Amino acid sequence: MIFEKRTERIFLAIFFVVALCIPLFLEDNSFFVGKATTVLILAVFVMSLDFLVGRVGLVTLGHALFYGLGGYLFVILTPEYEAVNFWTYAIYIMAISALIALIVGVVVLRTSGIYFIMITLAISQMAYYFFFDSLEFGGNDGLFIFMKPETSIFGLSFLNLDNPSHFYYLALLAVLVTLLAIKIILRSRFGRIVEASRLNPERTEALGYNIFAFRLISYVIGSTLAAYAGLLFALQYGYVNPQFMTWEMSGTALVMSILGGLGTIYGAILGTLTYEGLQYVFEHMSEDWMLLMGGAIILMVLLLRKGLAGYLEKLLEK
Amino acid sequence: MNPIKTLASTALATTLAAGLSTSALAAAGDPVKIGVMLPFSGIYAQLGEAGRDGLRLALKQRVDQLHGAEIEFVELDTEAKPSRAPELASSLLNQHKADFVIGPVHSGVAMGMIKMLRGKDTIMIIPNAGSAAATGPLCSPNVFRTSFSSWQPSYPMGKVALDKGYKKVYAISWNYGMGRESLDAFAESFEAGGGEIVEKVLLPFPSTNFQSHVSDIADEQPDAVFTFFAGGGAIKFAKDYDAMGLRGKIPLLGSGFLTEGTLEAQGPAAEGIMTGLHYAEQLDIPENHEFREAFNTEYGHYPDIYAVQGYDAGQAIADTIDQLEGDISDKQAVISTMEKLTIDSPRGAFTFSRAHNPIQNIYLREVKDGVNVVQTVAAQALEDPARGCKI
Amino acid sequence: MSTELFFVQLINGIQYGLLLFLIASGLTLVFGVMGILNLAHGSMYMVGAYLVWYFVAVTGSFTASALLSAAIALGLGILIERLLIQRLYNRNHLDQVLLTIGMIFVFNSLQSILWGNDPYGVAVPEALSGSVPFTDNSSYPVYRIFAALICIAIAVALYFVVSKTRLGMLIRAGESNREMVEALGVNIKSLYTIVFAIGVMLAAVSGIIAAPMRSIVPGMGESVLITCFVVVVIGGMGSIKGAFVGALMVGIISTFATVLMPTLSNMIIYIFMILVLLVKPQGLFAK
Repeated sequence: MIFEKRTERIFLAIFFVVALCIPLFLEDNSFFVGKATTVLILAVFVMSLDFLVGRVGLVTLGHALFYGLGGYLFVILTPEYEAVNFWTYAIYIMAISALIALIVGVVVLRTSGIYFIMITLAISQMAYYFFFDSLEFGGNDGLFIFMKPETSIFGLSFLNLDNPSHFYYLALLAVLVTLLAIKIILRSRFGRIVEASRLNPERTEALGYNIFAFRLISYVIGSTLAAYAGLLFALQYGYVNPQFMTWEMSGTALVMSILGGLGTIYGAILGTLTYEGLQYVFEHMSEDWMLLMGGAIILMVLLLRKGLAGYLEKLLEK
Repeated sequence: MNPIKTLASTALATTLAAGLSTSALAAAGDPVKIGVMLPFSGIYAQLGEAGRDGLRLALKQRVDQLHGAEIEFVELDTEAKPSRAPELASSLLNQHKADFVIGPVHSGVAMGMIKMLRGKDTIMIIPNAGSAAATGPLCSPNVFRTSFSSWQPSYPMGKVALDKGYKKVYAISWNYGMGRESLDAFAESFEAGGGEIVEKVLLPFPSTNFQSHVSDIADEQPDAVFTFFAGGGAIKFAKDYDAMGLRGKIPLLGSGFLTEGTLEAQGPAAEGIMTGLHYAEQLDIPENHEFREAFNTEYGHYPDIYAVQGYDAGQAIADTIDQLEGDISDKQAVISTMEKLTIDSPRGAFTFSRAHNPIQNIYLREVKDGVNVVQTVAAQALEDPARGCKI
Repeated sequence: MSTELFFVQLINGIQYGLLLFLIASGLTLVFGVMGILNLAHGSMYMVGAYLVWYFVAVTGSFTASALLSAAIALGLGILIERLLIQRLYNRNHLDQVLLTIGMIFVFNSLQSILWGNDPYGVAVPEALSGSVPFTDNSSYPVYRIFAALICIAIAVALYFVVSKTRLGMLIRAGESNREMVEALGVNIKSLYTIVFAIGVMLAAVSGIIAAPMRSIVPGMGESVLITCFVVVVIGGMGSIKGAFVGALMVGIISTFATVLMPTLSNMIIYIFMILVLLVKPQGLFAK
């Protein structure tokens, strides 16, 4: 069983059952299907960050670079008025993102701690300014994706991305696959070495493992997952903007991941749902929703030692 | 209970209700829903609030012309973040079934909204964002604008500069849509008349480290300087220009936002700045005087350009409802009615162009004793060329 | 670029760098001593600017307003440390980061509620409002020279306090060895409170000094925050000397970059920082 904790199993069971049913009770075009889709996509992004920050020990404040890149690569690679195959291009985009992550990783992984935070931030800000200042990529106005890709595999098509419910299930699938992928990686030999090098780098090194290589591969994995999430986000509304890459975007994802319970992976889903839920409620309550949001964040940090997941575990684990 | 809270709780209630209901777009008799997507936090918050206040005032004043239609507002804070724009627009379109959506301030947000709303039944009225694309390549029958295109305030300034005898101009702005488009519009008329842009500088947005460029201008000694800056950047630029001793030596010209809502903060540093804009607070026409007093009575302070633009969005809605005698269920009728309106704006009456951008006067103003004083009409009934628009 | 213009720009760069140092000094001090990464540092800069704007409008005196604002900031620093930061000393550093992000939300919101969202400006105090002739066509404002001198004075004072006084000794000891400070019979809690409050006050003071030169607008805190981090990282986290050198470098480089290659100038300081970190992964003056 790759889900060791009871809390984890209970939460994920409830989450997936509810998530599977949501579109059945709502109109296809309803705002809530769209909103839920956005939240799921964000959850994929936050999980990929939680893996890097909580398990590999790479605290990055530049993760949104790959989130934005996923969408931009799609716009750059595809012809404007022709529907391309989703899966083919998803693979292209993930491969290119992985390559970029590899190059970026070689540079940033030379530093650690606070310097790592800053160097990742610097690189994502540079990418942000690159797209912001470039006329050919739409500058600060961003770019439209006019044609949604089609999703057939070997001529069989299950999903129509113009249908919001279908898109929703694609996002839910991404959550499931990402969750399983990260869990399987963490339980593998590779994952155990990665975690060992976070907890005790000197000993791991002494045992003959090249920590740098393990971290680099992890960084590439996390970044590629983020790029996939970013691709989905751009496709959902057919729109990319340099703001998707800002450090605020990375920071918000980090907040979600810490709130959820750092390193728990399923906590990333919990954190994303909670943050987005609170923001939705507060926004509709008051124009000064930021005050409520800030207050809620501060209260949760003070009260919850290990995030929401930690709190649930205290209630449910013996 | 304060009005915002009341509004917020009705909004929350409708949110919950709308989530469950499957009602179609408002038929006659249903309240008219106006979705507002403006920034109420962050750097553009003041612009958002002013636009919202203007909008609400217009609909309050015209309540008798609404043929009994009730108005319901749903307000969402865009935070000027493009990433949330499609989602919020979707909320107004699909969840709240808004008949009209008013917004935004920021042109990146405008792109996200247009993506969601273009070609839909909901009428979008832009009360600020001036990006050329909105009434250019991306123009759409259901998208209107009551503010300006970035081209409008700057284009006439080229001729103004030539008339004043300036031959060499240093042009400086931020490197983003509005900045680039403003400088290009200025250059278009200035160069056509034989003027020369000696230096065109596009600074990273939203950097406000202007001091080094002001030194550069002092060194270059052009006949005049043309700029687009707004808000905090406009204040900082005017202050740096003054502090480095250039004010009074090299005339400073700009797109009107250089001295809008910023004069108090700029203080004496703004004296003598000449700008072009589709409005001036001291504009001496009855519509403006009435509007200013009414606004002050309602909110306790005098309105700015952003309030005027919001007010005119409200007027466009009220006039349309009036002419359709309260029945706005036929969206084609709404669009064709709105297209033909003449809005009695505080800036002077205007009509909509083929691309739904205002055809309006641009005034040449000069700051004297902390006030934008109208010098002349720099361009009469100026229509944006709407390049790339196919309607 | 003529020699004359070169020197003008150099002075512009130094002046900008000195202000950056002042903002960054509190950040690096707090990190060096307490290991806390205060993302709300920019908010304190904003608070300083808004406070001084408010008090100048009420009292009319810049000096009185500046002193009053600085004192309030000091009190605010003590309050925040006692009420919030202190509860998180034994926790993951990321919890502290999260807390300070929450504080950014709160301060931005309070700014909007208390002072509204209009852009404001503070007039240069009367006595410093003149300018001195500089080149043939331009002059240099007295206030900007004064501001640069204040920044230098504070840099000297900080250096003196850290290297020559008992408080400084405790700060230096606290950085390296928490137990030792406690063994000396010093309450580490009070030391932390003092250091954090000084950090907040330094940020607010830079906001106060910058107020007459800059515009006071919502979001002004976040706009300086990242540049500040770049400065501190180049210099080496926790090093006051590093912050000083880093600030001057960033000030001068970005000034020349905006003139010589304006479209690239956004990226220049990041490129510079990355280069520094590739050569010295812990910054220039890391301990």
